[in-house]
Order: sequence, then C-alpha cells, then structure tokens
Amino acid sequence: MGVILKAKNLCKYYQMGEVRVEALKGVDFEIYEGEFIVVLGPSGSGKSTMLNLIGGMDLASEGEIYYRNQPLHNVSEKVLTEYRRDAVGFVFQFYNLIPNLTAYENVQLSVEIAKNPLKAEDVLTQVGLQDRADHFPAQLSGGQQQRIAIARAIAKNPEILLCDEPTGALDFSTGIQVLKLLRDFNNKYKKTVIIITHNAGIARMADRVFYIKDGRLSRIETVENPVPPEEVSW
Amino acid sequence: MLKRKIVRDIRENKMAYIACTVVIVIGLVAYTSMSIAKDNLFMAREEFYEQFHFADIFARVKAMPYSRINELLDIQGIELVHGRLVKDVRVFMPEQDKNIYLRMISLDADTSHSLNQVQLLKGSFPEKDERSILLGDKFFEAHHLTLNDSITVIIEGKKEELKISGTGQSPEYIYALKDAQAIAPDPEAFEVAYMSYESMERLFNQPGMVNDISFTLKQGFEFKDVEILLKNKLEKYGLESLVERKDQISHAMLDQELMQLENMTKSVPILFLGIAAIILYIMLKRLVESQRGQIGTLKAFGYRTKEIMWHYLSYGLAIGFAGGILGGLLGTALSIIMTRVYQTFFSLPNLEGRFSLKYLLFGIVLSVVFCMIAAYQGTKGILKLQPADAMRPPVPVFNKKVWLEKIPGFWAAFTVQGRMAVRNVIRNKGRSFFIFIGIVFTFSMMAAMWSMDSMIDVMVMEQFTKVQKQDVKITFTKPMRSDNIMREIYLQKGVHWAEPMIEVPITLKYLNRKKDVILLSSIENSRLYNLLDKDGNKIPMPEDGMLISELIARQLNARVGDRVQVESIWAKDSPAYTYIAGIVPQYIGANVYMGQNALYEMLRQKGFATSVLISMADNYIPDLKEKYNTAQFIRSIDERQQSIREYEELLEMSTFVIWVMAAMAVITGFAIVYNTGIITLAERQRELASLRVLGMYPKEVLEVISVEQWFLGVLGIIAGIPMAFAMNKGLAVSMSSDLFSIPGITSTEALIQAFFGTIFAIWLAQKWVFRKVKQLDLVEVLKERD
Repeated sequence: MGVILKAKNLCKYYQMGEVRVEALKGVDFEIYEGEFIVVLGPSGSGKSTMLNLIGGMDLASEGEIYYRNQPLHNVSEKVLTEYRRDAVGFVFQFYNLIPNLTAYENVQLSVEIAKNPLKAEDVLTQVGLQDRADHFPAQLSGGQQQRIAIARAIAKNPEILLCDEPTGALDFSTGIQVLKLLRDFNNKYKKTVIIITHNAGIARMADRVFYIKDGRLSRIETVENPVPPEEVSW
Repeated sequence: MLKRKIVRDIRENKMAYIACTVVIVIGLVAYTSMSIAKDNLFMAREEFYEQFHFADIFARVKAMPYSRINELLDIQGIELVHGRLVKDVRVFMPEQDKNIYLRMISLDADTSHSLNQVQLLKGSFPEKDERSILLGDKFFEAHHLTLNDSITVIIEGKKEELKISGTGQSPEYIYALKDAQAIAPDPEAFEVAYMSYESMERLFNQPGMVNDISFTLKQGFEFKDVEILLKNKLEKYGLESLVERKDQISHAMLDQELMQLENMTKSVPILFLGIAAIILYIMLKRLVESQRGQIGTLKAFGYRTKEIMWHYLSYGLAIGFAGGILGGLLGTALSIIMTRVYQTFFSLPNLEGRFSLKYLLFGIVLSVVFCMIAAYQGTKGILKLQPADAMRPPVPVFNKKVWLEKIPGFWAAFTVQGRMAVRNVIRNKGRSFFIFIGIVFTFSMMAAMWSMDSMIDVMVMEQFTKVQKQDVKITFTKPMRSDNIMREIYLQKGVHWAEPMIEVPITLKYLNRKKDVILLSSIENSRLYNLLDKDGNKIPMPEDGMLISELIARQLNARVGDRVQVESIWAKDSPAYTYIAGIVPQYIGANVYMGQNALYEMLRQKGFATSVLISMADNYIPDLKEKYNTAQFIRSIDERQQSIREYEELLEMSTFVIWVMAAMAVITGFAIVYNTGIITLAERQRELASLRVLGMYPKEVLEVISVEQWFLGVLGIIAGIPMAFAMNKGLAVSMSSDLFSIPGITSTEALIQAFFGTIFAIWLAQKWVFRKVKQLDLVEVLKERD
C-alpha cells in the first residue's frame, strides 16, 4: 500500500493579537491508500487544525505535508483548490448543504467539477435516498441531510474522504448508519477515509487511531481487528 | 460601545457603504451646485434689471420721428417710452476669417430716463459729437482691444473708424445673440456697441429718427392691455416686431436656462437619493437579519428596543451626514465652476460664485432624511423581535421548485451554480426587482445621453450638409431686385450656381393663436436649400400654400389644410391669407416656408430677394468676400464652413456634460450591482465557502452571484430599450425651444454604447465582489453555525 499523505514536523500557529496560539506543534505521520483512520482528541486539542491542513483549507506555518508526492505546504491557493477539487471529499458535522439546491442538485454540484465522478443517481441509491432526490435540505431530517452530504462527498470519487465529526449532530442509530456508509465506501472503492472526532467509541472500527493531545500526536494505535460499524457503541 | 460597533461594521464593508455614499454625493452635488448656480443667476439678473431699467416691451419700426414717441405715453398703461436708433454693422477685420458684427445702439445725452441702460465697466461713455463707442465688454476682451483703439465698421457701404472710449454691458444683451437663428453667443463675432444719438443719426443719415422703441408698463398692466393700441399707433411707421419681455431673446434664453436648472434641481437629486435610499435599505435590512443573535443578546442584557433601534438608525445617520456634507461641499465647489462658465455666456455684473449655507444645510437635511427613512424601513423588524426568538436562527426558508424549472430545456442549460442563482432571483423578489430597475436606469440613462449626443450631431450635420447646401450666403440690408443680383453674382469667378432667397418677418395667425416667425422662401426646385422629412428625403416646395415647422404647428395647434392669416409689412395688402400645405420637421430654428412664386402672389410684390445662396469653388471665396466686404446694402456674408466650426465649438461643451451624466449612470449601476452582490455574498457566505471547500475555484463560486446579476442585467437592458426611447422623447420635448428642436431619435449606436457601458458597470462591480469571494475564510465560516 502506497503512502497517500505524509506529514513532517507539521506546525500551525495563529497570531491572536499579542498572543501566539500554537494549535499544532510538530506532527509527523504517514497515511496509506485505502486506510480507515480515526483522529481522536478532546476539543481544543488541534484536531480541527489538522483537518484543515489535511483538507487543504489552510497552510502550515512550519513543516511539510505531502499528498502523494505533491507538497501542500508553501503552495498557492490555486494548488490547494486543485487538491480539494480532485482529491478530497468533505463531510461536515453540520452537513453544509446548499439550502436552495435539491438533494440531487447538491450531489450534482460536486459531480460537475470532478475529473472521474460517480453517477449522482447511483450515489444517492447507495445512501438510500434515491426517492428523496427532489427534496430540498429543509425537507429532510438531519440524518438524511448527512447522508446527502456523504453522497455529495463520495460522488466526486475522491482519493481521501475527510469527515469532521460526521455523527456529532445525529442520534445514535442514525450515526451508525452514517458510519456504515463511510466504511462501505472504504471497502468498496478502496479509498482512504479519515474521521476526526472526539467520540472514542468510533475508534474501534478504524484500522489505525491517531490520538491528538495539546497540539501533538501523542500516540498512533493500530487496531488488530476493527469491528464493523454496527458493533460500535458510545 | 455600540458606536464602535458601527465604525467596525462599516469598516468591514467599507466599499459597500462608500458606493452608497457616492450615489448620495452625486445626488447632492447635482442639487447644491444647480441650486446655487440658479440663485446666483437669478439674483444677478434681477438686480441688473432693476438697476438698469430693463424694459417690458420692445418694438422695432422702420423709422419714426424722435419727436413723436412721447405721444405713445398717451396709451393707458404705458409708463415710460424710450426711442433709439439700432443698426447692425459689419466690422472690417480682414485678418479674421469670420464675419463680425456690431449692433450699434444710440445713447441719449441725458440717460436718466433711459430704459435698458448701460453699465460702464471700463473707460468712459462716448462724448456727444465724437465718433466713439462704448463697446460690449466681451467683444473687447475677445479681440484683446485696449481703450482708445479704433475699429473699422462698414456703414452704408463706407468704412468708418470708431474710437473705443470704454466698455460696458446692458440688461438687454446679457445673452448676446445676433438673432434667433444663432444658438449661442460668440463674443468674437457679435456684440453691441453704444454711440451718442447725435453721432449715429449723422452716420446712418437718419436725422431725428428712431427705429427701436422700448416701454415699461405701469403697475397692474399687462402686455395684452396695450398691445393692440401700440400696434395701431406704430403701424404707420413700419412696425416690424412688437414683443414683450418674455419673448425678448436675451431674456428668453436666460429664462430657459433658469427653468432648466429649476427642473433639474427637482428631478436629478431625487433620483439619485432615491437609489441611494434603496441601497441603504437593503443593506441595513440584511445587516439586521445577520445580527439577529447580537440583537437578541443586547435585548437579553436589557437594552431597550429604542436604544437598539437608534443604534441601527445611526448607520443611516452616519451615511446621510457623510454624503450630505461631502456632496454639499463638492456641490458648492462645482457651483462656483458652473457660475464661472455662466460668466462666459452671460454678461451679468454681480454674477459670482458664492458659498450658500442655506443650500448646504438643506442638502444635508435632505440627505439625512432620505437615509433615515431608508434606515427605519430597513431596521423596523427589530421592533418585533423577542430576545429569545432573536437568538434563535431564523426559520429556514421552505424551498420549493420555481416555475422556471418546468420549462423543458431551460433548466438543463444552467450549471448547478446557475440554478442557485436563478432560484435566488425568484426568491428575493424585492431585491431582484431593484437590481432590475437599477440596470434599466443605468442602461436607459446612458442610451438617452449618447443618443442626445448623436441627435445633436444629426441636427447640425443635417442642417449644414443637407438643408443648407450653399458655400456662401450673402444677406442684404433691404430687399433687392433678384434679376440684378443674379446677373451680378454670376459675373464673379468660381460661382457654380446661385439662387435668390427671401426671408420675411411675418406674424402668423390661426384662430386665436399667433406667432412671429421668419418666412423662408427659396425658388421652386432649389438646389441649395432643401427641406427634408424625417427620413432625410427631400420635400418639394409646394406650388402654393405654406409649409410650417412641427414646432410652429404645435404652438398654433394647426393642421394641414388649415387657412392661416399672414401679416407682413411687405405685403401690399395686409393681412393676406394662405393655407398650410404641409408640416415639416425642423431641428434648428422654427420657420415657415413658401415657394417664391406663391410668396410673390401672396405679398403681391414681385422679383425681389433678401439674400442669395451661392455654390462656388472654395479658393474664390476670399476674393468674393474681399469684393463685397465694404459694399453698401450687404449685411452679411456667411460661409458654411465657419458656421459648422462655430457649432462644433459650442457642442464640445454639451458633449462634456453628456459624458459626465453617462459616467454617473455607470457609477450608479456599479453601486447597485456591487452592493447587492456583497449582500448576497454575506448572506450565503456559508454556502459559498462550502463550494470552495468542495474544490471550486473562486471564479466558479462567483457564478452563483454573477449569473443572477447577468440574468437580471440582460432583462434590465431589454426593458431599458423602450425606456430609453421614452426618455429621449421626453428629453426632446422638454429641451426643444424656438431656437432648436431636438429630434427624439434613439440611435442604434447609442444603444450599443449603452449596452457596453452597462456590461462594464456590472463587470466592474463583479470584479470587486470577486475579490471578496477570494478572501472568504473557509475555516472560519464552516467552523460553527451562527
């Protein structure tokens, strides 16, 4: 399995007036193709900062990060946009669907810009919402909205699926359904899935778990026998 | 603390507030500058009229003994009478290629009872028996003369030297036009000169005679009370014209200018302030919506609704004040420039630019009132908010498909961003309508302005290339035998073709309406004077009957076939009668026309002409001028090229004004498009940021906003076309006068120019919005729900 993401001494500082906040203080890791990674940490630990850097939404203050062999540090906004466009699919805690586009159109939105997209209809079927294609987000439940958000992310057929607290706003059983979709995508297409969460229960289904604490990667744990999503609990 | 919030809120969106303020400033600059300029003009005029006894009635006769004029005081209602000799003479300045004329006016030795007195500016009044003159100051300046210089004029065919004793100006020639055919004063080519009566009667060989009489009316009397009686008394002296003050050329022109300013001060500022108010309304409404949470928090703290309301109204107050003060000061500055421009046209003492606290304050009040109304309308939603509700996010808009989606094929043509845009258009109906109206305004204003530019070109070029085709026109001081004239002219070198022409002053009457006009008569099948219809086709001179210009037809309310009465001092039997054979468009001047044979028959006079039109080789024109320059009975020699040049000079000024107005339209279009773009951006930050996170380029994200604006822009331009036509028609009617009527034509080029102008405004605004799209902070926006 090849390395898809690689970070060396990755740092991120924010200048807040007089104070310099060190959100990420030198993180090293390698993530492989087809892996299912859970990044675990309490709030304020720097995991969102890590997500931003991995997702190409922000630039590192120091250190290096590579997607395959393409650096994502010290690059232009254009390079980051290309990277997000071609390689990454995002799933957010609060879905971030476009309210005046229908479910189908929300998915189509990412199909239109992708190089090698899946068919919007197929993806909607995969997430079980083919009969809701014509509904607007306001007409869907939270779980349904998150499934559309996942459909929108995987329709691009990205190399990396990056999920920020994907179950954070959902009840338990809906959360499990969502995790199942993520695992299915991982199994079916052999693409990397990275979940960032503070929910330790989810860690049991990962191939590897990154523990983040106080801006550092304190531990990387390889899970011998990941459990199927149905057996996860919290 | 809340004050700081205002400053920061405004700073965050400074471009949007600046754009809004600029529109207010435009409105106020227009208001203050024109109001002050109008006041300056008006006050200077009234003062001048009062001090120098401007007359109420003006009569022109062939000749009347000086000793008889006091008899006119017997007419009830006449207060003062003043008789003068008034003669136009040509100035001999061979080095100048223009024809230069002076209107010589006699001065009484005792000026205390005179009307239309002269204000001395330099030197002294001419002595009683000296051949010296008091010259119009503008002429003096234009030719760089000095006191005691002499100028040579041609009187009765002889060169006469006249010494300049001083310079001055009079209320009668504030706007010094030679006649109604001239459009603007040209101080190099025409002015007045005053000379003692004694010298003038000798020079012009008119002992004891006057030909120009002015009157003032007693209180409570009007022109129509004395008109008939005056006419009867003056008829036997060869009455040529009798007009009241409102028709006196200089007064009428000044009045027209004042009226135009007055109309503009009422319409232009309201238009721009209205647009600014709508922009502000939309901006503040959006601001209040986006700060629901903050408002809720403030209310929860215990701030009173009134205090919060006041806080948001302060935005309007701040913008209103800023725009008001800036616009008022710039307007005052502009009024000084405008007044200076007026000084070059109008000979008015005391015409000075001045600071006006009144208009500055009133302008600020006007601006603040508009802004406060807009702010109140935009923010009154706060009143209804309960703190708990305010802190909750607004109820999501329930989305459903819009009717446009049902049109097969239409929906498929859009990208997904495009669909977002189209839905936004339909859901935000009020705002969309405003953008639409803004574009209609921007487009039609530009189209109207540029049409005006080309209309003026059409007017002038048509007049000098198609209507008046002669190279030279020689005008006589009195009617001459046309066969003699033609024989003489054809003896000159270089003459290809010549035609006699007759210009007769007449009074035209139809039912109870009447009008003093010049009747023009060319030979039938004239080659050098053509009447044209709207499409530029030649209208033949009718065998009998009369053609009248559209404007006169409108004023007399007369139609083809109507019988009209003609009074003329040249007619053997006056009044004579004829009928209207046709109505013709005429852009410069307002005349009536007859064929020469028909005219001869009506006047029962034969074989005379008052001028001759000549087509000839250019290189012989100087010889012709040289030969006739000093000839007796020749009043003027006009070259077509010179007239065209004069018009072109005059038009440069209006072209400038037109471009300024067009630029204002672009700015307004920009402000509207930019501000609505910024608002959309602010409202949909989160969605747009999501698109960026999905990997869209800023350009693709901009599409969500731009497709909406282009969509409305195209609709606005389409709707702007008929609007431009209507505006042009309106402008043409409101700007037409006896001197010229503007054809209400909207040219295709103007529409194309306006199209590009509008596209430019939208494009530029989007360029600025685009910068904001690029600056969207993805991390911040997506972090949490507001």
